[in-house]
Amino acid sequence: MDLATLLLWFGILACVYMACNIGANDVANAMGTSVGAKSLTFRQAVLVAAIAEFARAVFVGGHVSDTVRKGMVDPNLFADVPMHLVYGMISALIAASIWLHIASSLGWPVSTTHSIVGAVVGFGFIAGGADAVNWGKVGFVAMSWIVSPVLGGLMAYGVFRFITIYIFDKRDPVAQSKKLVPFLVLVVFVILAISMVYKGLKNLKLDLDFQNALLISLIVGAIAYVIAKILVQKIKAVSPDNINQQFVSTEHIFKFLQVITAFYVAFAHGANDVANAVGPLAAVVSILNSGSVEMKVQMPLWILTMGGTCIVIGLLIWGMRVMETVGKKITEITPSRGFSAEFAAATVVLICSKMGLPISTTHTLVGSVIGVGLARGLASLNLAIIKKIVVSWFATIPFTAVLAMLFYKAFTLFLP
Amino acid sequence: MRSIFSMFAKSPFKPLASHIDKVRDCVDQIKPLFAAQLAGDYDQVQDISEKIIQMEYEADKIKNDIRDHLPQSMFLAVDKRDFAQLLSAQDDIADAIEDLGVILRIRHLANPDALKEPLNDLVDHIVMSAHSACDLIHELENLLEASFGGVEAEKVEKAGHQLATYEWEADKKQFILAQKIFSLGDGISAADLLLWNEVSKKLGAVADKSELIGKTLRIFLAK
Repeated sequence: MDLATLLLWFGILACVYMACNIGANDVANAMGTSVGAKSLTFRQAVLVAAIAEFARAVFVGGHVSDTVRKGMVDPNLFADVPMHLVYGMISALIAASIWLHIASSLGWPVSTTHSIVGAVVGFGFIAGGADAVNWGKVGFVAMSWIVSPVLGGLMAYGVFRFITIYIFDKRDPVAQSKKLVPFLVLVVFVILAISMVYKGLKNLKLDLDFQNALLISLIVGAIAYVIAKILVQKIKAVSPDNINQQFVSTEHIFKFLQVITAFYVAFAHGANDVANAVGPLAAVVSILNSGSVEMKVQMPLWILTMGGTCIVIGLLIWGMRVMETVGKKITEITPSRGFSAEFAAATVVLICSKMGLPISTTHTLVGSVIGVGLARGLASLNLAIIKKIVVSWFATIPFTAVLAMLFYKAFTLFLP
Repeated sequence: MRSIFSMFAKSPFKPLASHIDKVRDCVDQIKPLFAAQLAGDYDQVQDISEKIIQMEYEADKIKNDIRDHLPQSMFLAVDKRDFAQLLSAQDDIADAIEDLGVILRIRHLANPDALKEPLNDLVDHIVMSAHSACDLIHELENLLEASFGGVEAEKVEKAGHQLATYEWEADKKQFILAQKIFSLGDGISAADLLLWNEVSKKLGAVADKSELIGKTLRIFLAK
């Protein structure tokens, strides 16, 4: 076996390890809100995650991976030594995976995006010096430390207040949610559909402009609205005097809604985070095939599919333990609260990743949960844990950067 | 292996409901306690008083547990000071009832006929008032679910007003009882007079603290 083949396999292995870790850390956290509210069992959550990650991997191309691969470090630096970029990308994958592995076992929901960004910056810095790193772009990513939780929090606060005012504050919450829930379903499906078809579907050779994409999405939304409308009609009316039963039935309706938003979150996560694992591998494959550093790298479908598969495997193997704890633990989160947090997080992530902003799913979700808490939706939140989580966010970039530097140094010492 | 879910702290509202259940047990001993006293069955008074002490002790255990698990770093859906006040009010009800039992055991207290009617009247009223306060705590779960708004909020608001009215009525009944006690003049020993006056005060305290529960819940709604 020659060095190139060896490196390719090594790259694939690193990508698999990374994807598994993403599945363990991120997806488990994203799906956990549904499992915690008892809207989904663990098995159902894995199934939903699998379908969503695949739907995403197969249908939609990666906008974010461009930012990660090209934006942080100037690839022209490696024009003379393309193999060094291969070493760098593999180092970055391994460094980010190790950090994710540590974080998962310590229970820190860190950002996979920031892990890979830190690692890429690390090897870029040591390969080409401080000038090789596009600090403006790095700052842009670091901004999402503040932007993603804040956007997630604001959105979740708004969504939960909306639900409170238009459903829980009304005399007959069940009748009210029968009216409003189909509308919420419509919104979810329109955003989902538009993020799939607009500038997406490149892999299916369908590239729609915004108008057509909007039209198709509205049709999809309308169909979903009608189906939801028919389904909620089956819910029995409850006497407004029986407040307790009113709440039980309303939460029951939100349980169904949470199955949809679980898919929504997993899809948004796929749209955003699969690229973190497969982006560097795509660069490695392209260099090994062509022998030169190309500015635009085609993302092969097999890499996307492999990334999606490994994320699901990671979720199954490691995410299982997280979800089991979540499922058994009595969390104070109810389906209406879970819906608000998930809906807000997924919407923010989808819109931001459509704009090419490398936003973190995990950060957004943590922000969303706090947003629901501030809207007096949760009995209590543990601020000490939240502080720990935020500290782990700040540790991510320096840790993966230094680790990637070490791996890159080792590669260039022993290999040509 | 932990997850994002460690963010969710254990809700202190459920233990709060368990605490009020223990307090309710104490409240349910008030009528038997006075029935025994008025019948002159001092052994029975002793038994019930010891029962109350045991119940109050169990309530205290829950109370301390809640306080221990309410660290500075906890974010609650309500102001933490208001929550602490609510817990204290519940605790004070149990304490006042425990004191009632102890006062009646200090000596074999005479039962002047003139006291019977106003005393029973006050006791009935106090028990009713304390029961509604206990019921109100159980509404907290629905109140959280409704995120402190809507029909549930109206219900709690109304019940809070009701408790204030009960307290005002209890004051009047307590005044009537006090008048009777002090009108007995030389028909009662100084020691008995002092103790009966104490009993009247402790019964008033139960109504006061029940009202405070209603007040605190209404503060939850206002914020």
